[in-house]
Amino acid sequence: MSADKADAVYWDPYKPEFFKNPYPIFRRLREEAPLYKNEEYGFHALSRYAEVERALKDTQALSSARGTILEIIKANAQLPESVFIFQDPPIHTAYRALLQRAMTPKRMNGIEEQVRRFCAQALDPLVGGDRFDFIADLGAIMPMRVISMLLGIPEQDQEAIRQSGDDRLRTEAGKPMSFSVEANVSGNAFGEYIEWRTTHPSDDMMTELLYAEFKDPSGTVRRLTREELLSIVDVVAGAGNETTNRLIGWAGKELAEHPDQRRDLVNNPALIPQAIEELLRYQTPGPAIARYVARDVEFHGQTVPAGGAMMLLVGAANRDDRRYTDGDSFNIHREPLPHLAFGHGIHACIGAILARLEGRVALQEVLKRFPEWHVDEEHAELASTSTVRGWETLPVFLGAKSKHVAAAAPKTEPAVPTKTKDTTLEGTWNLVVKGPTGPQPTVLVLERAGSTFTGTQTGQGSTSPVTDVQVDGNKVSWVNHVTKPMKIKVTFTGEITGDSMSGKCKPGVFGSFPFSATKVQTL
Amino acid sequence: MIKICFIEHDGTEHVVEGEVGNSLMQTARDNLVRGIIGDCGGNCSCATCHGYVDPAWFDKLPPRSEEESVMLDGAMHLEQNSRLTCQIKVTEELDGLVIRLPISQI
Repeated sequence: MSADKADAVYWDPYKPEFFKNPYPIFRRLREEAPLYKNEEYGFHALSRYAEVERALKDTQALSSARGTILEIIKANAQLPESVFIFQDPPIHTAYRALLQRAMTPKRMNGIEEQVRRFCAQALDPLVGGDRFDFIADLGAIMPMRVISMLLGIPEQDQEAIRQSGDDRLRTEAGKPMSFSVEANVSGNAFGEYIEWRTTHPSDDMMTELLYAEFKDPSGTVRRLTREELLSIVDVVAGAGNETTNRLIGWAGKELAEHPDQRRDLVNNPALIPQAIEELLRYQTPGPAIARYVARDVEFHGQTVPAGGAMMLLVGAANRDDRRYTDGDSFNIHREPLPHLAFGHGIHACIGAILARLEGRVALQEVLKRFPEWHVDEEHAELASTSTVRGWETLPVFLGAKSKHVAAAAPKTEPAVPTKTKDTTLEGTWNLVVKGPTGPQPTVLVLERAGSTFTGTQTGQGSTSPVTDVQVDGNKVSWVNHVTKPMKIKVTFTGEITGDSMSGKCKPGVFGSFPFSATKVQTL
Repeated sequence: MIKICFIEHDGTEHVVEGEVGNSLMQTARDNLVRGIIGDCGGNCSCATCHGYVDPAWFDKLPPRSEEESVMLDGAMHLEQNSRLTCQIKVTEELDGLVIRLPISQI
């Protein structure tokens, strides 16, 4: 009995070693515990393809209405209706249908040349060099530019949005929108932008969403409110950036590991679409999806009682040998079986077509310029969040491997100022939280009176007070009392280095997310 | 036995067995027909299971719903006989149905 216990498969979704390489434990879960129960965190998990697919379709028993991230389900929070990814029918149906009309294959296909241009702009300056970072140089840039373009944000302003999502967007009648730092405490970039777009309609997705009429969950035909639009755009922008970025990183990593298959793609680019599908299957950027068990449901002859959380391990299902020949091997030539990387059923990724388009064009443009590379293992870094798994940075050496064997990578020491500049907390900070649905920009404004601080923090278009500000050397902490979209205390702890700050924030019981901030220079 | 014939854009034919009650999209996916994606699993919300119904069969099918028409409008390479295959259920009467597939779904 005790020996059994010691050998029993144990999976902790938060354990770093499982995050680095989850596949051995995924295999054990499929083989030894296809309905796995984790007592410590209180959830069940499914890992075989057939059951994960069935679970994704069973929206009656397995609900999205309490969130689709384990920590959010556990927190038992009330979520706004327009965050439709966290809803069930009919609320989900109403909002999804509206956004679906703006993301059709026809519209997505129409932007291929622009996607290609963004890739070329990112890659052309690197031609002739010997290094390249799949994330910093391409993955973090191109999808962001595509989403910005779809939302109609003028190109000259996109970089500014990325660098400081909070800078207020302002415009004078008849002139293009421009940014101003001076009034940046008033709210989030999209909020300001929506107001501008209301009076300056165009042919972009934002205008379409602003003016589209839909049947709301109560049956009334109307337009979206500003708040609804803001939360929908927020979901789109977050989801559209982070996930495709991870796909591009995995393309860089896996094709370096499988140079023979990379050569096949260089020789026959028509294979690229199926290579993208294989990458999505083999290294699923979002390996786990959670559901709330709304009613008793049976899997593998056991009843999972209503009231708990269920993890659907699509990253494990996508390697199930019951479905795929040798599921743990990477093979772009394998049988064309659909996978679950985009989910399945009514909540299937609304941006799947866009993600495939971006992945395909990115890979075409990379291979055209750089047919060979190998990963700078010493500097590559895997990122960890509750929802996505992939590379935070993936530097590579370009060209054949032998060329670089002796050449040591230049050490990139962090630039530490010889004399620490004044580490003052007071002032205005552009602070970005790496939240579960993508980067959340906020603006933190703190004033000092003697040894006490007062201030506010603004994000998602609403401003809320900051209390309990503590400073100890360069270590700081404070509490932001957020009221929208829900009432929650968010505790920030971080360290200041000159004009930068980084650390963690804890929104109630929702887990912990990294943040980084830069100080706004006052004139 | 109900036979359904899917013809890929390059001419590759797949004559597969249909099961009453399943959608044509599911039938194609179950039989590894390339050219049908069907991400949303048959909920008429992705427009990636687009096919052309053989003209001889078109009028024998139940008509498009409003939802299907809205989604179909966003699909690629539309023709008069375009349908979303997730919205057509296999019945005994459809034995011998021929569906041609577009050059691409996306």
